[in-house]
Amino acid sequence: MSFDRPKELLKPVKRRFIFMTLLLAVLVEMIPLPHGSTRWLPDFISLVLLYWLINQPRRVNVGVAFLMGLVADIATAGMLGQHALAYSATAYLALSRQRQLVMFNLGQQALAVLGLMLCNQSIMVVARMLSGSAFVGWSYFLPPLIGALLWPLLTKLLLLPYRHHSV
Amino acid sequence: MDFANTPSFFRSGPKPGTRLLLCALASIALLVGDSRYGLMEQARDGMSLVLYPLQRAVNLPLGMVRHVSDYFTVQADLKSENDQLRTRQLEMSARLARLETLERELNELRSLNAIKASRNDAAQLAETLYTGRDPFSYKIIIDKGADAHLQPGQPVVDGHGLLGQITRVQPLTAEVSLIIDKNQMVPVMIARTGERAILYGYGGGVEIRYLPLHADVRENDMVVTSGIDGLYQEGTPVARVSKVERNAGAAFSRITTEPLAGVQQTRFVLVLQEKGQTPPRPAEPVVPVKKTKGKKPADSE
Repeated sequence: MSFDRPKELLKPVKRRFIFMTLLLAVLVEMIPLPHGSTRWLPDFISLVLLYWLINQPRRVNVGVAFLMGLVADIATAGMLGQHALAYSATAYLALSRQRQLVMFNLGQQALAVLGLMLCNQSIMVVARMLSGSAFVGWSYFLPPLIGALLWPLLTKLLLLPYRHHSV
Repeated sequence: MDFANTPSFFRSGPKPGTRLLLCALASIALLVGDSRYGLMEQARDGMSLVLYPLQRAVNLPLGMVRHVSDYFTVQADLKSENDQLRTRQLEMSARLARLETLERELNELRSLNAIKASRNDAAQLAETLYTGRDPFSYKIIIDKGADAHLQPGQPVVDGHGLLGQITRVQPLTAEVSLIIDKNQMVPVMIARTGERAILYGYGGGVEIRYLPLHADVRENDMVVTSGIDGLYQEGTPVARVSKVERNAGAAFSRITTEPLAGVQQTRFVLVLQEKGQTPPRPAEPVVPVKKTKGKKPADSE
């Protein structure tokens, strides 16, 4: 897999497609999985969200991140507002450097995404610890790493419908 | 700068900073409202109702895979399982016969002593929909809720022992806090000695705290519910003592236990009724009136 960012001209992205991918991420999040897998499975909602924040900043903004955070809160039966806070802060960080991020190649983007998702997790840890939960251990920071490794693959996948030569 | 004649290409609503401020304020308000005051239950109920079809849709293919793999079970497996079940059933029926005589005797004794039989054995079978993905709390979501008249507080068991307790009931689903969750406590006793204790979940496991050093606890002791809280039926197995550390420097012995129920892997669970029928608290003892000089109170008992 080449890590260069795609240079061809793409078809315009439909709002419907953005919605569909976010919905799909929520569905993936809700699949009942054996308990151990949640220790390393990345947060797909935030991955897809970051993709759209970086590539379509005019469509997906902090408000959308907040709403998706609320949905994630309900879907994971966590505390209401925890994901919402983390996602909106991360969305703000991503948007403030969006013009740089979109010029990076996929490897550099993956590094940036790693940083953003680590920030995501830290905000959630702090929020939970302030509300009286115990620290869950450093393995909590493993999913961002795997998420960053999946980033190039995710980018290629989400670009597929918008290539000109694919019908 | 936004002007009235700015082309729509440049216009993008409030700045990200402003949006962040609004969203962060809203989410902090939600966090505080949810964790401190529990204000968001209604909203959560509504949202969960909206998400329920999604949940079902996601579970559907998995359920089909299960059905298919059930269908293609090897015949030898079926046969050996059948044999096992048959021997187990024989053992069970023998024990059941003995239990029935015992129960009859117990009921006779109870009626002799005018004690009400407090067992209420109605139970509902439910299926685990999914485990909460939140690594901070140990919860499972089951597929029965207010539609099956579940109520928060009901104990949940599986084939091996106590699993947890229903903590939140939504229209079609219910949330079960497992005994290993950080805020769960179960009043228990050591089955061998009858010594009462409280089993604390600490997030990922359970332990017995605050038992004095001289308490008679050994490894492999069974820990069962004591039933003195009016919630869990007495005698439900909960955990097994795996290690006892007695440190002369500490005031209490350190007792590590392992939950018996498959807290992370059960598919079907039983929701039991609360024990209920707790007799009212005995009236506060009359505080004897302080003796004042010269006068003697009429009744000081």
